Amino acid sequence: MSEKIHFFATPHRCTAAVLPFDLEEWLRQWSGLRRQMVKHVPESFTRDEWAYLVAFLDETSLRQPFLESFGETISDSQARPSALIRPRGLIGIWLPNTVSLLGPLTLILASFSGAPLWVKAGSGSSDLTAAFVEYSLRNLQPGALADYLREQVRIERFDRQDPRNSHMAAVAKVRVVFGSDAAVRAVHTLPHPADSVAVSFGNHRSEAWVEKDALTEDRMVALIRVFAIYGQAGCTSPGRVVVLNGTDEESRALQESLVRLWPKAVRTDVPMHRAAGNVMEFQMASVQGWHAARFARNGGVVAAGSIELPPPTGLMTLPVVPASIAEAITFLPANIQTIGHCLRQPHDPEWLRLIAVTPAKRFVPIEAMHHFGPVWDGGNYWRQFFEEVEFQP
Amino acid sequence: MSNLLTSSPFASRDEAAFLAGMNEITSWHLAGCPEYRRVWPGWSAVRQLEDLPFLHVGVFKRQLWKTNASGIQHQRTLRSSSTTQATASMIALDERSSALQSRSSAAILQELVGDSLRPLVILDHSRALRQRGEASARIAAAMSLRFLASEVHFLLEDDDSIGWERLAVILERERRLLVYGFTWMLWQSWATAPIPETVRKLLDAAEVHFVHSGGWKKLEQARVDRKQFNAGLLSTVAPTSQVTEYYGLVEQVGIIFPLCEAGFYHVPRWAGVLVRDPWTLETLDDQPGLLQFMNILSWGAPYHSVLTEDLGRVAPGDCACGRRGLHFELLGRVPKAEIRGCANV
Repeated sequence: MSEKIHFFATPHRCTAAVLPFDLEEWLRQWSGLRRQMVKHVPESFTRDEWAYLVAFLDETSLRQPFLESFGETISDSQARPSALIRPRGLIGIWLPNTVSLLGPLTLILASFSGAPLWVKAGSGSSDLTAAFVEYSLRNLQPGALADYLREQVRIERFDRQDPRNSHMAAVAKVRVVFGSDAAVRAVHTLPHPADSVAVSFGNHRSEAWVEKDALTEDRMVALIRVFAIYGQAGCTSPGRVVVLNGTDEESRALQESLVRLWPKAVRTDVPMHRAAGNVMEFQMASVQGWHAARFARNGGVVAAGSIELPPPTGLMTLPVVPASIAEAITFLPANIQTIGHCLRQPHDPEWLRLIAVTPAKRFVPIEAMHHFGPVWDGGNYWRQFFEEVEFQP
Repeated sequence: MSNLLTSSPFASRDEAAFLAGMNEITSWHLAGCPEYRRVWPGWSAVRQLEDLPFLHVGVFKRQLWKTNASGIQHQRTLRSSSTTQATASMIALDERSSALQSRSSAAILQELVGDSLRPLVILDHSRALRQRGEASARIAAAMSLRFLASEVHFLLEDDDSIGWERLAVILERERRLLVYGFTWMLWQSWATAPIPETVRKLLDAAEVHFVHSGGWKKLEQARVDRKQFNAGLLSTVAPTSQVTEYYGLVEQVGIIFPLCEAGFYHVPRWAGVLVRDPWTLETLDDQPGLLQFMNILSWGAPYHSVLTEDLGRVAPGDCACGRRGLHFELLGRVPKAEIRGCANV
């Protein structure tokens, strides 16, 4: 691949990016893939997952990491750069066993560094990353992006004991590790280059904060959809819904509305064992003191109760609790990642002050809870794929 | 209830009497088990079996259920053998139910293997008997045959091999044996094990009635079917020997569903079976779905009506084997699908 210089600018800074590809060409190639993608959902992916990937590959969305990190694209003639960025080098990506879209999404974003990628997929799960790369290679026009995916991206499945973990850590200039906190620690304690960068995506929980008056039917449908994709298995799924300054009755009313709207929001059945398991989770939630209800076709359970009750355990069980804002903050899980909101006045500066005192890493509308981007788990990890050179002509 | 237990297990029954028995036992548990009441609040007696409350089989893995009432004294806890699952089911046994459950299993087993006494050889470790306060389902299943035993021998060594020398000593004086083992263990430790020549000669002349339960999951993985399994066992013993298989679950202790020669599992007259759609829980006639089992024996905890994760189909009409009453096909476990997501669950 030949190197090409691109220029980006904010009102206060101009950055030159020396990339081993033509950015406009790659944007066209990636986003052009969507024309094929909309025609057919490959077997490895659910419809929701595929739809999200299609949306993610929108050209505007793909430009976002550059925009957030370095500013607007500008032409060569205007450029007076004070910084130069270039790919740091090989990026090692460790993916968790509980498969998700994070693999393909991270791969797409990392590809915009132009650095070679070495991806370790979970050993005990299907591998969406390899499936997506194979799909892309079948459907991309011949060119630099297809060559990059074929020649610079290595995807392998192995377990945590495999010696390739050590090899990856020893050669990667960036280690991106998804998984349990223990798995993240284990990778980062492997011998690695002194100048390498660690990016940690450990175990996190998320929740939805809602106000009764802001909950339109459309937003409740959105809440169901965002939960239904992965249930409690998604680190950005709402682990519970907190009805801010609500009452028990308002929680119950929301529970009833969610049950009523489930068939409108979710058109596919859960697998048979999950449907059967949801009967158990409904019964166990009832035993624990929750007022539980099953979603249509045993798609899940919604449990209304007190924020102080032991959380119900079901993968597809969504607790709904009333709480004051102070209680909501007190009862936040220590590893809170995303607070999805449905509020009357989310722009009220008071929310900034409140979120500032929580360990939350994201405060986004409920519809955006799963939206993955260059800023994640408290930092702009995507920027770490590049090293920066101070440049004073 | 006692009327239902007095006749042959596979005779026809008075359905109204069974429904009345189920209504009675359900009310009993609702009165004595607050957790059960929380799951089924406001319930009152019903007119058809499909409207009876049930507990999902998995809830017995999550907590020990007990019904407290006059005349109920809880004793030991029965635990499922949990060979393929991480967590064992826990069933609180009580005196009243145990007496009924013993009568039930004795009546069914007598129908299967006859009533003549002979040595009972159990493919298990005797140490399993010595755990205080707990019993494994495997041992409980084996010991349900004790009333047909002139003597009881545990034949497994610590390394799960069979103590063939000890078996030889038994065979020197007895030519008729009852042998019980979990399906997988009988295959692994007997049918495919190298039998010493001296023992093989003694077995050639021994009439053995093998009884097994526990499921086919491991054998299916090993691609061993029922025909191969039976042939493997019977090739080691005298030609008049037999193999009897039954299905049971720890959450229906005392109820044995024998497999008949026509390929169906039979339901004793003091028990019931329904099939439910996994997504709607509606009952299904003549279609596969989740099996729900009921019995009128379980008074110490609400395991009298249990929705399983086993798939089956209730067969219509009378069975070709001649037994009366309900019979069903067992179609295996509900298939598991992968969990997707990124959180630790």
